[in-house]
Amino acid sequence: MTAELTETEQAVRDRHQLRTLAVAITTVSAVLCAVFVAILYAVSLNRLWFLHFPLGFYLLAQGLLIFTVVVGFWYVRVQERIDHTRSVNEEIA
Amino acid sequence: MIAPSRQRTPNPHLGAYYSIVASAFVSLVILLAMAEQLGWSDGTVARSLILLPLAAYLGIAVAARTLDIEDFFASGRRVPQVYNALVLAAIAVGGTGFFAYTGAVLFLGFDALAIGLGWTCGFLLAAVLFVPYLRRAGAYTLPAFIGQRFRSREARIAASVLQVAPTALLLAAEIKIAAVVTSIFLPLPFWLAVLLVTFFVAAVGILGGMRSLTWSGSAQFIVGAVGLAVTLIVVSVMLTNLPAPQLTYGEMFGSLQRAETAAGMAPVAPDAITSLPQAAPAQVVKPFLQPFGAISETGFFALFLCFALGTAALPSLLMRSGVTRSVADQRRSTGWALLLVALFVITAPAIAAFAKLIMFRDMALIPTQGMPSWLSTLSEWHLIQPSDINGDGTIGSGELLVARNGVALALPMLAELPYILTALMATAGLSIALTAAGSHLFTLGASLADDIYGVLDRRPVELPRLMAAWAAIGLCALIAMVFLLIAEVDALRNAVTAFAFAAATFFPALLLAIWWPRCTAWGALASMGTGFLILFLAVTLGGVVGVAETAPGIAAASLIAALLALGAGVGASLYGPSPATFDTAYYEEMRKPEGEAIFDLAQSRPAPARATEE
Repeated sequence: MTAELTETEQAVRDRHQLRTLAVAITTVSAVLCAVFVAILYAVSLNRLWFLHFPLGFYLLAQGLLIFTVVVGFWYVRVQERIDHTRSVNEEIA
Repeated sequence: MIAPSRQRTPNPHLGAYYSIVASAFVSLVILLAMAEQLGWSDGTVARSLILLPLAAYLGIAVAARTLDIEDFFASGRRVPQVYNALVLAAIAVGGTGFFAYTGAVLFLGFDALAIGLGWTCGFLLAAVLFVPYLRRAGAYTLPAFIGQRFRSREARIAASVLQVAPTALLLAAEIKIAAVVTSIFLPLPFWLAVLLVTFFVAAVGILGGMRSLTWSGSAQFIVGAVGLAVTLIVVSVMLTNLPAPQLTYGEMFGSLQRAETAAGMAPVAPDAITSLPQAAPAQVVKPFLQPFGAISETGFFALFLCFALGTAALPSLLMRSGVTRSVADQRRSTGWALLLVALFVITAPAIAAFAKLIMFRDMALIPTQGMPSWLSTLSEWHLIQPSDINGDGTIGSGELLVARNGVALALPMLAELPYILTALMATAGLSIALTAAGSHLFTLGASLADDIYGVLDRRPVELPRLMAAWAAIGLCALIAMVFLLIAEVDALRNAVTAFAFAAATFFPALLLAIWWPRCTAWGALASMGTGFLILFLAVTLGGVVGVAETAPGIAAASLIAALLALGAGVGASLYGPSPATFDTAYYEEMRKPEGEAIFDLAQSRPAPARATEE
């Protein structure tokens, strides 16, 4: 399916895949950790109030969703930059 | 540089078309609101507001009809990112989210938030882990991707068979919800409503496949969003003087807690009530803000993860991974869908909180004689049933039986708003349910036709392939209709089971196929088979030993099944034959961020070369 890759092309590909993996792990683990912590401390956080909401409830009903959307768009931007870098490097190679 | 096989330029007038659709719908609502004030009956208003948009969706589907394979299965791969996001969000939320999830939040309050959070995070997982690579592969269906990734007809057929469980469960749930709404508002006998809804979704799927679903689905999403937003903003202004329900319902918590106490709701002990409310009218017993009352912390996390993994690997959603112009567009499209789903999930608790507040604050101690007409109507529709349990001649707030799926529909009536807003909420929910049902039906039919019939009959002739898809869609619709007429379907339980099956069967297999070059066809088969089998046993036989009886139980079983499936996939790949050179080359090609879809490149090669390769 693909022709043999030169050493430079292989390096470009490996670097792209490594950076993609790092961004994916960062994105997914950030959101999952945030959700896990929010669930774990929801009862304690409910003693604090934020915008008329108990904080634990607010985080699970709105805060984490907003965080997920922000992380999602951050991921899209970073991944596009990584992909663009690979295209440029492949052209140079 | 390989030239694209065709120009993938989206219609430049799409923005104008959908602005016209939105304006026409808003105008229709305003006209009907005026007609209601001029004396039109409630029935006429509701029929007009439901049937005219339905006719418009069907008209759009007819206009988008196609006999082209790429248009039928992938909408020509030229759908702009935002339009694809509209349909993705509608499929994920569906009528189940619109009606059953909002009802579950009313019954369980805090504890039900796990479901919405799961949906939202699921889109993030899909955007990061699967969608860009599926777009690069360009397969028309999820089983087709698995078959092409490993060059295995067996894996493709197995995936097609295994995807029936999650997709059919969701299809039944969506048609049921849509039929219930239709039967209330048109009004029709339930069997006729099921027939009408099934005919509609089958017609849309058969006429233009993915293309019709995309363009009628976008219009349906607009109607759904307008209907939900207008109704909820009006209620929010009435109760809080501000048109931002997501921000203002927190102000109502003081009043809500007082109303709950007056209604006799006290914090419930874990396992004291069922973890998810049933569809039949029942008493609301749990305070809205009590954390982990019906569902424990572990159960909450399991339910969240089950919905997140299930959403990320849901075949109906992933089937739309090939409809945009490029990998980057598809990724951005999933990002927009994530935003839209998050907006709905942030809004749903506001519907539940407002409905619960009005229900238990303003309806306390209504005399059984001379009940208000709107309460009689809600009772006739079996949405809220007042029953004088203690026989004191009044309906106390603790004597209201609430139907889970009717909370969103009941809200405008509870707030004593004009009937047009009840009809608006109904048409909004119905539109979203129809989009989801159409997509699930198309996913089932297209996969049976293309991944089973198409694999067995390898003639490269377009029309028989399309005819097979039409026949499969028709057959699936017929089976769904008969099933709904003879079986009792609980939409929310169906949804939990469906997402659990998607999480256990497809998430580990896709994770290995996309992120692990060493994965082989045997690994994928072992992973899908293990995940499905363990969850199937837990769901069917688990009741005997007390496993997977409740929603958190099913969710926990799906997570265990997913873990074991991952292990089985890794084990079978490591100890089975090594991946062929072709598999490794396909993997590397799939990971490239740019270029024409692999499937399209293969199709553009001369037939003899393809045959040799296959």
